[in-house]
Amino acid sequence: MAATTESVKTDAAEAPLLNVRNMLLGASLYIVFYGWVRWYEGVYGWSAGLDSFAPEFETYWMNFLYIEFVLEASTAGILWGYIWKTRDRKVMSITPREELRRHFTHWVWLVMYAIAIYYGASYFTEQDGTWHQTIVRDTDFTPSHIIEFYLSYPIYIITGFSAFLYAKTRLPAYQQGMSLQYMVSVIGPFMILPNVGLNEWGHTFWFMEELFVAPLHYGFVFFGWAALGVMGVVNIEVASISKLLKKDLA
Amino acid sequence: MSASQSAVRSRAEAVKVSRTFDWLICFTLFFVVLGGYHIHYMLTGGDWDFWTDWKDRRLWVTVAPIVSITFPAAVQAMLWWRYRLPFGAVLCILGLLLGEWVNRYLNFWGWTYFPVNFVFPSNLMPGAILLDVILMLSGSMTATAVLGGLAYGLVFYPGNWAIVGPLHVPVEYNGMMMTLADLQGYHYVRTGTPEYIRMVEKGTLRTFGKDVAPVSAFFSGFVCILIYFLWHFFGRWFNSTEFVKSA
Repeated sequence: MAATTESVKTDAAEAPLLNVRNMLLGASLYIVFYGWVRWYEGVYGWSAGLDSFAPEFETYWMNFLYIEFVLEASTAGILWGYIWKTRDRKVMSITPREELRRHFTHWVWLVMYAIAIYYGASYFTEQDGTWHQTIVRDTDFTPSHIIEFYLSYPIYIITGFSAFLYAKTRLPAYQQGMSLQYMVSVIGPFMILPNVGLNEWGHTFWFMEELFVAPLHYGFVFFGWAALGVMGVVNIEVASISKLLKKDLA
Repeated sequence: MSASQSAVRSRAEAVKVSRTFDWLICFTLFFVVLGGYHIHYMLTGGDWDFWTDWKDRRLWVTVAPIVSITFPAAVQAMLWWRYRLPFGAVLCILGLLLGEWVNRYLNFWGWTYFPVNFVFPSNLMPGAILLDVILMLSGSMTATAVLGGLAYGLVFYPGNWAIVGPLHVPVEYNGMMMTLADLQGYHYVRTGTPEYIRMVEKGTLRTFGKDVAPVSAFFSGFVCILIYFLWHFFGRWFNSTEFVKSA
């Protein structure tokens, strides 16, 4: 990530515009971590995740849940705090090249958000369907929920808000107010997490194992639509980058 | 920023930067749309898509196109109406199918051991190609909604027929007549099975009459037209570059 406490970079030429290494490392982090998570599910889902009253459930699943709560809260605090603390206070006076570099860094964040959204909204959510079609639940904190709701969703929330915060604190294009669609694309998917409250309440109230198209789940659907806000973000980015490159491409 | 300064040092670098952004945008758009589309589709039409014993000739044919034409219409509102790129619908369906296939193989089969020929996803690609081609040739949102939406609903069942046909062959089992897909369902009992049977057994759905699927496809096409209009305008709203100013 570019250091941004100083507003004007006089010798920014040395650093690459796009830090490919950072992008690949970031992507690898998500993929390797979720590969390990999937392995953990495969091993301990069946051996320790069927009965929430069993001691091994506490050992392998509830402790997993407590640890992820702590790690997520601390990661969010440190990451968001760092991005805010190192914000550029003279963002409107940066050079065009520095602005371009920051757009690339912003896109590294957006690529991470895309990976995180894929795992959260696609991979682990549909996985939850097959787990609950196979195992009758006796707790809200089932092995698939501990991964889906309380791990993969917070991770894309942390990533998405980091991207938003980076844009807001470092890019001139986002200084004219709060981008409506950026907020939609970050806050909408975030709202899926509070909607878990409705989901769990409903699953506690009605025995409904596990009709995926049940109206109880429509809250997830509504907030999932908000991912389309990324189109507005792309449009803002295309306009900004075009402005930066226009005369050079003409 | 100074207007006299350039962000790049040569035209070649400008071209390279532009192409690099293209790739970053494509990757991000593809996977974010995949995530939003997949959670929408799995929770509005998912059960019909998960299991072959749900892939019937009335509700599957009706529901799957109606709930799946949404994101293609919205993404077309961006890619065609802003950038003249004629692949919004195909992009969405490719994303959805990738998300579904990865899941069906690694999780439905890999974690809970349902065979893949019981849990394969529906094929939505023929309708997506028609939507994109009609939009590209006509350049008209109305024509795409009316002709494309109708075609999207009508082509869904024929587009899946070669895949599900063998599973709709009637068989006799313990003195009862059912389809091979039903037999799969009986062998792979799921936690929601009683509710499933109530959903699937409605009306004349399980008879071997020949008119159920075409009528369902036609009805589905009709609703697809309306949904396309609606989601085109949703898509336009999601495309806005508006900023909210603090009071």
